[in-house]
Amino acid sequence: MERRLVIKQVLIMAGGLALLPSCLREQGKSTILLKNMDISLDQENLMADIAETIIPRTNTPGAKQLKLHLFALKMVDDCYEKADQELFVKGLTAFQDQAQDLFSKSFGKLSLHQRESMLAKLENSTSPEQSGFYKIMKEKTIDGFLNSKYVMTNLIIYELVPGRYNGYFPVKTA
Amino acid sequence: MSNLNIDAAKANTFDVIVIGSGISGGWAAKEFTEKGFKTLVLERGRDVQHIKDYPTTNKFPYEFEHLGEPALAIKKENPIVSRCYAFKEDAMHFMVKDKEHPYIQEKPFDWIRGYQVGGKSLLWARQTQRWSDFDFEGPARDDFAVDWPIRYKDIAPWYSYVEKFAGIAGHRDGLAELPDGEFLPGFPLNAAEDYFKGVIKNKYPARHVISARCAHLSKPNQIHLDQGRAKCQNRILCQRGCPFGGYFSSNASTLPWAAKTGNLTLRPFSVVESVIYDDAKGKVTGVRVADTNTKEVTEYYARIVFINAGALNTNLILLNSKSKRFPRGLGNDSGVLGKYVAFHNYSARINAEYDGLKQYATDGRNPAGGGYIPRFRNLLKQEMNFKRGYAAGIYGSRYMERDRSGIGGSLKDNLLHGKLSPWIIGSHMMGETIPKESNFVSLSVSEKDAWGVPLLNISVAYDENDALMKADYIGQMTEMFTEAGFKNITPNVSSQSPGLDIHEMGGARMGRDPKTSVLNEWNQLHTCPNVFVTDGACMTSTSTQNPSLTYMAFTARSVDYAVKAMNRGEI
Repeated sequence: MERRLVIKQVLIMAGGLALLPSCLREQGKSTILLKNMDISLDQENLMADIAETIIPRTNTPGAKQLKLHLFALKMVDDCYEKADQELFVKGLTAFQDQAQDLFSKSFGKLSLHQRESMLAKLENSTSPEQSGFYKIMKEKTIDGFLNSKYVMTNLIIYELVPGRYNGYFPVKTA
Repeated sequence: MSNLNIDAAKANTFDVIVIGSGISGGWAAKEFTEKGFKTLVLERGRDVQHIKDYPTTNKFPYEFEHLGEPALAIKKENPIVSRCYAFKEDAMHFMVKDKEHPYIQEKPFDWIRGYQVGGKSLLWARQTQRWSDFDFEGPARDDFAVDWPIRYKDIAPWYSYVEKFAGIAGHRDGLAELPDGEFLPGFPLNAAEDYFKGVIKNKYPARHVISARCAHLSKPNQIHLDQGRAKCQNRILCQRGCPFGGYFSSNASTLPWAAKTGNLTLRPFSVVESVIYDDAKGKVTGVRVADTNTKEVTEYYARIVFINAGALNTNLILLNSKSKRFPRGLGNDSGVLGKYVAFHNYSARINAEYDGLKQYATDGRNPAGGGYIPRFRNLLKQEMNFKRGYAAGIYGSRYMERDRSGIGGSLKDNLLHGKLSPWIIGSHMMGETIPKESNFVSLSVSEKDAWGVPLLNISVAYDENDALMKADYIGQMTEMFTEAGFKNITPNVSSQSPGLDIHEMGGARMGRDPKTSVLNEWNQLHTCPNVFVTDGACMTSTSTQNPSLTYMAFTARSVDYAVKAMNRGEI
């Protein structure tokens, strides 16, 4: 009960973006408030595992820690046509089933090598569902990463107030 | 009861009423209040106070709901304003949503508006170039529209006057076609832009690439500090409103200046339904205002009315101000009002790559945006198969290419360690369009807005001249880019509708003859001397310069004239 209260009061930070938690947190549903899509907690967790495989934790945070999957989910929910959203969910579901079929395990339980090989296949997939889903998933994960607060304040610094312009800034040519 | 009415009338009486608080209305407010006149500024939108009402100004990209991209539902609800480059999450609260104020497109026209205190001066692209006599003499020399009733010498001192206060960064380039002004230090061209400038100087002696002139405080003078403004910090997030007051806007500059005099009354949420013409007195006595929230109608009175509602809305107000004397709209004996609307042709761009100068990139950001090529076609004489010509923006940049292929640690590494692209060179055209009777606005006879004001019909389109000019722009830029050794030259011809340039002008044009124009050489209605129009509606022709600086100069000049005329008892 206390945990729920805390969730209600605290925004979920995804990349740096403050997301509203789903208010009446139904058992097994997505943790963020969605306007259009119906995503289960399992599907959300699968997205987290896919995002983490795309951008893993190294000596810097990975997708899971930066909650890039929630950023991706928010973007798909708000910025895509209904048809694309449906294709996305279909692709996600098919991917989930595929992991079970191939390895009798959920994607998250697979070894890194197995996860990477599954995504490598998606990179070249011609199925509209799979490629449609994966293309968005990867693109949004990368967008979320490059525009995350962590990256913009630690790795590729975004300057809000540059206060200068140099049109002949010397750089290495190689 | 009658006493009450008299008191109410007194409370609603001012020396001057200014309709609109955008770039020209702000100037009218400043000039009148400084000279001691009690001035009422009416703004149809909400109040936006400098800094306090810039909610997104200090946000980082990741703090916007969708990294800046408006949600699909918003885009679908707003197909018109969504086409504007500035309609992003950081500034969309400063732009009119499609449903908020409908209009009728007899021909496709993207009418982009900013209804709030400060109007579009919060959002403008801040490019500021003076006109020259090559522009003012255009209609007479090339036989279109009507002759401008003024020449460069009439407006030059007023350009100086407004430039000193607004703060214009630029270099003294010494070009007759683009006269120098009262400049703060100009921003530099970068390596690629400078290189292109050199190529053009050698190969095309009559063409010039200069650093773009813009309304930014590159090095503020005391007059700018006195306004509470500070040096531009190269953020280039101007459309959000600038917490430094680094660029000129009504909100940062003229309106707070006017307020300090104690003579300003600013009334937001006030739609002007019409200007009141008193048939018995033979002049305008005030304006009729609907409160946008309560819809209550109130009349305000003044000796002089300045209409600065934004070009097309100024036409709307004049057309809707009908009286016995002016059954077709205020000052419209000639039937010219609403006609000869023109705009700028922004419908072509061109991009290329340059493989050289890889030892340089840029650091920080350039508020001027890059370079500017003043009009060179038909400049000294008519020489092409089309009338007039175009100016062009020109800018070079290098971006970080980040390899998005693959997955895992190597992808992450590639993303974090980008590679500088070659120089990307871009240009866009800014073409003059020819005002024509067939390009007009009029009042809908059947449809009204939420405040009972007729909707505006807009019937404005490109013509053959625009098409020929556009082809020439693409041809000439391709040739110049080729001369410079640029590669992958890619023209990008857009099918955008008029309006998206956000430089709509005319409808109440200036001229010498009341039979063919609406305003005289002082921006004063020929037939109703206590009404002035100094926004885009006054423009007899468009030339190629970004128009705002000229509106500012017209406004200051007009106020000076109006005050002198009042002192002489003429109005």
